[in-house]
Amino acid sequence: MQSVKSRNNLVVSYLTVGGLIILVMMIFGVLMLLSQGGVLDLSPAAFYQFLTIHGTGMVGAAAFAAAGIMGYFLSRHVTLSKKVMTANLVLFLIGVVMVIIGVFSFEYASAWTFLYPLPQLSANAWGTIGALLYLFGMLILGVGFLLFYLDTGRAIIKNYGSLAKGLGWDVIAGKKSEDDAPSSTVVASTMVTIVNVTALIAGAIVLIMNIINVINPAFTVDPLLAKNLTYAFGHIFANAIIYMAVIAVYEILQEYTNRPWKVNRVFLIAWTMSTVFTLLIYTHHLLMDSVMPTWMLIMGQALSYANGLPVLVVTAYGALMIVYKSGIKWDMGSGLMFLSMFGWVVGVVPAIVDATIVVNQVMHNTKWVPGHFHMYMALGACAMIFGFMYYLAKHDSAIKTNVMDRFAFVGYTLSIIALSGSFLVSGVLSTPRRWATHIPEWMGPAVFGGIAGILGFLSVAIFVVHFIRFIRIRNKMVPGSSSDGKRLA
Amino acid sequence: MIQTVAWVVSLFFMIVITVVFSVVLLKSQEKRDYTPIKKKWYKARSFYGSILIVFMLAVTIYTLRELPYNQPVYSAGAEPTVVDVEAMQFGWELSQTQFKAGEPVEFKVKSNDVNHGFGIYDEDMNILTQTQAMPAYTNEVYITFDEPGTYEVLCMEYCGLAHHAMTAEITVTE
Repeated sequence: MQSVKSRNNLVVSYLTVGGLIILVMMIFGVLMLLSQGGVLDLSPAAFYQFLTIHGTGMVGAAAFAAAGIMGYFLSRHVTLSKKVMTANLVLFLIGVVMVIIGVFSFEYASAWTFLYPLPQLSANAWGTIGALLYLFGMLILGVGFLLFYLDTGRAIIKNYGSLAKGLGWDVIAGKKSEDDAPSSTVVASTMVTIVNVTALIAGAIVLIMNIINVINPAFTVDPLLAKNLTYAFGHIFANAIIYMAVIAVYEILQEYTNRPWKVNRVFLIAWTMSTVFTLLIYTHHLLMDSVMPTWMLIMGQALSYANGLPVLVVTAYGALMIVYKSGIKWDMGSGLMFLSMFGWVVGVVPAIVDATIVVNQVMHNTKWVPGHFHMYMALGACAMIFGFMYYLAKHDSAIKTNVMDRFAFVGYTLSIIALSGSFLVSGVLSTPRRWATHIPEWMGPAVFGGIAGILGFLSVAIFVVHFIRFIRIRNKMVPGSSSDGKRLA
Repeated sequence: MIQTVAWVVSLFFMIVITVVFSVVLLKSQEKRDYTPIKKKWYKARSFYGSILIVFMLAVTIYTLRELPYNQPVYSAGAEPTVVDVEAMQFGWELSQTQFKAGEPVEFKVKSNDVNHGFGIYDEDMNILTQTQAMPAYTNEVYITFDEPGTYEVLCMEYCGLAHHAMTAEITVTE
């Protein structure tokens, strides 16, 4: 019989790798902002390499850590394959090493978007080897994630009969009572399985197209098709991070408040809406491509608005309700969960504003865009990840938090609000994103954001150090004394 | 200016959300039975949800009335000047760069290598409009320069190591 500790080893590995990569990626973010602010003098080559590694690394690491959260809670309901989770870990690490070598040894710098045909047409900035290392690295990484989601899909279908039943469609249709509805963890995992299998297949197709084009430039692709596939992959995959990580919010806030987060029809309909909208709204990245069919762009705006409804009316509302007058005892885990819901909701606002076509006309590819996704990603998704790390440490060991952790909580909150705010102000000033240099009028917010980023880095370093202290304590624990629920096979 | 409207609207709603979360946080230490709380706030949610849906629908309809993709309706005798724009790593080729204030201009934008972004900035470096420059496709931008002055074209889509140096000038005279 497998112990909780043994089952959690993989989850701990996912979180450690994810947490450490996020921490290192923050350094590149700070360096870029300070360089834009004129405080540092990075060469354009170095700046765009940092840009590439920062975007790729942050989304990859957060997705990986969030997959650990999903694996942890989902394995209480279904039997996941330990071999598949291990394979995902190995493939992730191989992919990361290839991407790092491609970027830093072969000066590859296409940004995470690798918009066709940039990987092949670099104006002699990088060569074939760098491009292939990056693209194959991403492909290998993607295969690992795809295996993981195929396994979660398999396990859900085995237990619940189908993915539709995992989303609770039989309950929505009235064939089953709300009391027999799947848990919030299963519903969220089913949603993520559906959208991420789709995203990863789209990503694999466009990566393979780019790889063939790099090897043989005579092979060409429709650039608009490639752009659609790139954003279908990138948007869905990045968006799904928060839908995986929110599982921790559902589970932890229920536990801390001793109140049930009951799955009812409204909850299930909201998650079905999120499934459909998340698949379709990537076209809001293409609002400035007037050659796109106009109906797709209108759909991009309308469904981006609609995609705010499930979180604003159901998930965040549910979190507020469960905490309200609950007598909850706040600690780092529960505090970060509450903060994350705030980050998610507050980040929805500038995202929806930017998805408005007439606004996008002047905000597209300005720093407004990183403004809203740093709120969503750092104050939302990453706060969930760090909160879960504190929860797990407390749950699985006798480790105590101290004043440094509380400092880090405050520091992290303030730094991300300041950082995101500086990006939004830059957007209002029309500062283009992904620019190695800034005119003097654009430098102030960049410096401010860079300083905020340093505080953020210190805070995350404290979060990660706490987790590593926990790992050292758990390594000394006697393995295999208890178990709960189902586990990885 | 659209940027200011976007900023004020965003700030307003972000402050409202901050207030709501703060109130719940302040009330979190009190302990009450959950059943009446659920009953009361589920009822409130129906109202809040409906208001939100109606509000979003209204904003959607309002903001979709005029899209930048549609060619403007020109008054009689005011034919637009059509300008071909070709983007390349790392520069712009415009078939015409001098215009009169009040003259409607249509930019037909394409690229002969990778993706670029054609962004037009005014003298204060505020972006006025933009579109993507893509290989194999032609995107269109419609603009009438109201004020004389020197406008700048900036690349708005990352295109390689000299992306930030990819600029051009447009002169508008009285």
